[in-house]
Amino acid sequence: MTLRQPEAGPVSAAADAGGANAMFLSSDARWEMVDALAARTVSPGSYEPSLADVVGELTVRPLTGIPVALAALYAFWSIFTSFAGTLMTDGFMVKIFDGYWLPWLQSVWPDPASWHYFIFVGNPLADNSLEAFGVLTSGFFVSIGVVLPAVLIFYLTMTILEDSGYLPRLAVLMDTFLHKIGLHGYAIVPAILGLGCNVPAVTATRILETKKQRFIMMTLLALFIPCGAQLGIMMAVIPESVGIVFLCLLIGFGLFGFILSRLIPGENPEILVDVPAYHWPVKEYVAQKLWNRTKAFLREAIPFVLFGILLVNLLYLGGVIPALADLLEPVFVVWFGVPKETAGPLIAAFLRKDLAIAQLSNIPMTPYQLVASVVLVTIYFPCVATFVVMLREGWRELLASIAVLLTVVFIYGGMIHGIGILLGVA
Amino acid sequence: MAANGEDVTTVLMIGNPNVGKSALFNRMTGANAVVSNYPGTTVDFTKGTLIEGNRTYVIIDVPGTYSLEPRDAAEEVAVRMLRHRPDATVMIVLDATRIERGLYLALEVMELGMPCILAVNMIDAAHEKQITVDTAELQRLLGVPVIPTTAISGEGVRSLAEMLRKARVADVMDISGRLKGDPPAAGGRACFGCGGCGGR
Repeated sequence: MTLRQPEAGPVSAAADAGGANAMFLSSDARWEMVDALAARTVSPGSYEPSLADVVGELTVRPLTGIPVALAALYAFWSIFTSFAGTLMTDGFMVKIFDGYWLPWLQSVWPDPASWHYFIFVGNPLADNSLEAFGVLTSGFFVSIGVVLPAVLIFYLTMTILEDSGYLPRLAVLMDTFLHKIGLHGYAIVPAILGLGCNVPAVTATRILETKKQRFIMMTLLALFIPCGAQLGIMMAVIPESVGIVFLCLLIGFGLFGFILSRLIPGENPEILVDVPAYHWPVKEYVAQKLWNRTKAFLREAIPFVLFGILLVNLLYLGGVIPALADLLEPVFVVWFGVPKETAGPLIAAFLRKDLAIAQLSNIPMTPYQLVASVVLVTIYFPCVATFVVMLREGWRELLASIAVLLTVVFIYGGMIHGIGILLGVA
Repeated sequence: MAANGEDVTTVLMIGNPNVGKSALFNRMTGANAVVSNYPGTTVDFTKGTLIEGNRTYVIIDVPGTYSLEPRDAAEEVAVRMLRHRPDATVMIVLDATRIERGLYLALEVMELGMPCILAVNMIDAAHEKQITVDTAELQRLLGVPVIPTTAISGEGVRSLAEMLRKARVADVMDISGRLKGDPPAAGGRACFGCGGCGGR
């Protein structure tokens, strides 16, 4: 153990503060003092495992833990789909938006042939708020009708996962797998946060120790982890393909994680995870977090969705998107096997991924094309908010990450097409 | 951002991960730092203000760290905050059920010569596990105020706020001396923080 050298700053400050002599102990001497202090002040009680300890043990052991994890995941997903999809969106929002809001706007907005009708109300013949694709129709439907209930319930379940103490146990359970892709168990924390929103997830990669781990995690986040808003819209517009899209993302996560962990120099040390005791989530904290996150969504996401539709519609009117679609046609049609119109949603995807998927659902496609294009939109580029936080964590990493991203999109997009051809669906 | 007025003191909250710093911070400042039950929730700092008596404290919630030799980027944030604010008061937060590792960090911080105060948090969890912490004795030995708290219920938060102004620079030599049972060195300084003077 080394004797730490006194640093200039704190020492001189200490002298200023009160003339005390700052002295630095060796680590061993410090532990000796800790032991002496604890011996004089702490008396340990009799230990008997509580219910929380027993449950805690069961959720960490692979034999019982993996089934528990799968059950938790399934419960999570069921609550998510039934509350956000079936109850709120289909049972409530669709009726309001398609039954009242859209027909009302279509009847009062003047001149269906004008540019402003196209931008704000959208397609005059549309009979649902998704296809209309105007700022005031699809913009509000996507953000409030579909995505808001989805993120609300997602954040509620995620908060309970966070506050109960299950996350560190999941980290222990996932450690073996994550080590194969250059990460360790604790990487599950940013991965799960990323399912809510990639922005806090990027910052959460700070809990990983090495640059290598952080780079791999950040890149995989940007590539393969769809956010809550995106999950919500996927469930609303392509419920029958969500499973297969997920499978593609999961395989991509494992495959490219494996490749990256071998290509990128650096270490992937073992970790000691501090597993806290289970406790009941505190109502106030859950409510507080839910409110903060929802508020952030309302403040940041909705303007972006509205602005995104405005921009996409303007680009359509200006002929930019059709021109881009023609330009990219060879790549899209030949290499990825998706319609050239996918170029439009790719632009929207830079602003908001949920918007891009809403837009994709309006392009006539085969089931294979839909899956492939949704996967492409998910992985091709981080949304602008994620891009900005990644930049804050280091521009070199961001540039490298983008280079990896583009390569992966190209390779994986082609692979999915190839598999599609082999299976005879593409 | 050091204190610019005479009455503004910067307080850094330092402690191991998942000991309840953010919960305590929210209690003291009314802010909304994210609180979760896993180590590493806080990866960046959050600032809040506490007005106690007629003093203003700018309290900074810092990512948790096991030692002052950072292992990851979040811990680096914590160590950097300490380095860049040498004139700040440090509130060291300990988990009452895991006192030892918290004390290790506390000693490391004390060696920097910054004024310190200790919050022994999660005292409720310690009671449940029938662990008792003699905070009065700990206070006497360390020579800095030691306050038992339960951030979740708010227990002890009031006195923690009141005692902030009594934060003292701890002298590791003196602690060592008191542990060996030496009487406090006569003369020299009139007051060894809160050690044994029974409050004023």
